[in-house]
Amino acid sequence: MDLRPALTARPPRSAADGHAATVTATDGAPGRRRLRIDGTDVVSFVLGAAILVAVASAIKWSFVATLDPGVLLQYWRPLLRGALTTLAITGAALAVGLAVGILLAVLQQLPIGPARWLILVYVEVWRNTPLIVQLFWIHFGLPLLTGISTTAFASGFLALALQSSAYLADIARAGIQAVPRGQWEAARALGLPAVSLWGEIVLPQALRVMIPPFTNLALSFLNGSALLGLLQVGELMTAATRISDYTFKPIEVMSAAGLLYLLLNLAIGRAAQGLERLTAVPR
Amino acid sequence: MAAEAIITCEGVVKRFRGFVALKGVDLAVRAGEVVCIVGPSGGGKSTLLRTINALESIDGGSITVDGRRLPGSGRDVRHIRREVGMVFQSFNLFPHMTVRRNVALAPMRARKLGAAEANARAERLLARVGIAEQIDKYPDQLSGGQQQRVAIARALAMEPRVMLFDEPTSALDPEMVKEVLEVMRELAGSGMTMLVVTHELAFAREVADRILFMVEGAIAVAAPPKEFFANTADARLASFLSKML
Amino acid sequence: MHFDTSVIAQNLPLLARGLELTLLLVAASLILGTAFGALACVGKLLGRGLLYWIAVGYIALLRGVPELIVMFWIYYCGPLLLGARLSSFAAALAAMSLYAGAYLAEIFRAGVLAVPRGHVEAARALGLAEPFVWLDIILPQALRTMIPAFIGVVTIIVKVSGLASAIGVAELVYEATIVSGQSYRYFELFTAVGACYFALIFPLSLLAQRYEAARARRLR
Ligand SMILES: Nc1ncnc2c1ncn2[C@@H]1O[C@H](COP(=O)(O)OP(=O)(O)O)[C@@H](O)[C@H]1O
Ligand SMILES: [Mg+2]
Repeated sequence: MDLRPALTARPPRSAADGHAATVTATDGAPGRRRLRIDGTDVVSFVLGAAILVAVASAIKWSFVATLDPGVLLQYWRPLLRGALTTLAITGAALAVGLAVGILLAVLQQLPIGPARWLILVYVEVWRNTPLIVQLFWIHFGLPLLTGISTTAFASGFLALALQSSAYLADIARAGIQAVPRGQWEAARALGLPAVSLWGEIVLPQALRVMIPPFTNLALSFLNGSALLGLLQVGELMTAATRISDYTFKPIEVMSAAGLLYLLLNLAIGRAAQGLERLTAVPR
Repeated sequence: MAAEAIITCEGVVKRFRGFVALKGVDLAVRAGEVVCIVGPSGGGKSTLLRTINALESIDGGSITVDGRRLPGSGRDVRHIRREVGMVFQSFNLFPHMTVRRNVALAPMRARKLGAAEANARAERLLARVGIAEQIDKYPDQLSGGQQQRVAIARALAMEPRVMLFDEPTSALDPEMVKEVLEVMRELAGSGMTMLVVTHELAFAREVADRILFMVEGAIAVAAPPKEFFANTADARLASFLSKML
Repeated sequence: MHFDTSVIAQNLPLLARGLELTLLLVAASLILGTAFGALACVGKLLGRGLLYWIAVGYIALLRGVPELIVMFWIYYCGPLLLGARLSSFAAALAAMSLYAGAYLAEIFRAGVLAVPRGHVEAARALGLAEPFVWLDIILPQALRTMIPAFIGVVTIIVKVSGLASAIGVAELVYEATIVSGQSYRYFELFTAVGACYFALIFPLSLLAQRYEAARARRLR
């Protein structure tokens, strides 16, 4: 099995590679690769075909023929509304999580011992337990403690916001620490007040560093929010399970819902790239 | 002399986890004086400058700048930082702000200047250091020499009474050293009190009123340029000078 | 309200059985996921051909669609498509393995690509046969760099396993839901279950951090 082309991460035809050099010589057309089948293509095809054949032979094709995409034409509105709700609840939760996370990260930089420890515990507890347990704890357990019962929507929102704040505190901490020491010193030497030091020098630079990890987090929370469907919060997963239960057409409906999540993922990834370009500092 | 001193260090001690970086430094700088500090790397030159600006706390002795004493209250520290400008070896410009904003920011935030006034000041100072036409660019779009001149303008924008320079030309390509030294020379001529850590001995000889030789956390020699370069009594200075030439 | 530990004590056997199933589910899906991941990794490394595109599609799909959708999809659609019965455990296992595989594929690939090219070329220049280049040079180094990320996937899979309760797998979350539904002691049970997951996941996170820090030190 020749994994070399990918492994060396450069064009497969190069004079530096002994094996390839002979090929170039016999081809007699350096720079222009003629269509040539080698071991890589054979292995890739044989293994790929084996997978496809295995899957295809397991599927009951007579059933596939009865699939009815028409159900989607009938129910695209509630699905779309669910997708928008997913986007809204995830977005709002992440916005709150970002604000709280940054606040925690800033507090963590200040020399207040107990606050540091409390924040550390908070962050680690939320990060090291499953969202589903947090969701049930908030929705079913917490009201017994506080006496305030929350709606499914509020519980779902709270779970997403709290967990994301813990992850974002960590991301913000890394972002703040990525700001070079010289920036702090220059700001201090200029006598900038603390508000300006944080608000105009440190955080703007930290936020830029945070965009890629924040994007990853946003995508994982977008998908994680499907969990709220278990409480019938009314977002995309709720819509999908309701329609699928009602119509008895899980394949069409669940596939469509999955596709919608995929599209949201791609759109957010794109938007993040745009944001990164937009906030890039000219150089 | 001590009466009109604007910076007075008395027995300043600085430790880093047991390692003594400053071993009781005494120094008085008069208003309008230009003092250059030379010496081998690790001698404590940067540390001394940073303690004067309260970027490092001190473990012994005292520093008085413009009538305020260190160690002191937060108010004293803020006062001193406003009255003392600092230029770093690595420029430390704010990369996410235009050159104009780099210069105008501190007067607005720490001196409560209006935006229009701060901008006008930025324009004037950037013209003075010879980069008026780069005013709306970002730091990373400038050469090292230009960045360092912006950093000088940024420090001057606070209208400080003292300027500290920590090897301002050490990170620069040789052809850019001259343009920065030119700005510093002009500044010295204008009567600014300056404390300059540098390896540019020719500059020190020409501009300084006094040159200090710092080794192992102490000032070993302090003399006007003529005497300084004629000094043969201190073996370490002689060896240092012979290496620099 | 007081924290009533007796309900936990009384139902300890049930919860223990749930934990057992959680651990079984995690272990099995990591083993299967490693196989899927290795195959998809080979596909990505090949760089072209049928297997490459299958790997690309598989990874993009599984990383772009919620775990819960994958689980529901397999549980509800699997029996229809395959025309066979599918237990909830099998459905959860399939979903989690596929999910783990998609993550592991990228981790494996990054590990292989992180091996310095010079080492590979030196081995080939010494006349080492290709299988030995992989066994003796690439894999040992790649495996070492993968450890923190692999542990990270383990923690993710432990967390994802809780979703299996939604399709009726009687793992830890499921048992807690049942017991608390009867006793109305939600707060106690989910606090205990949360603590249990924390006890599983936190040490792994620390371990991953330790490895990561050690690797960063070595690179410096
Ligand atoms: N933040 C610090 N932590 C520990 N040691 C330091 C720190 N800053 C400086 N030092 C040490 O103090 C000594 C003096 O450093 P410095 O003032 O930078 O010397 P110079 O500027 O003359 O080269 C050096 O030995 C240096 O390693
Ligand atoms: Mg220095």
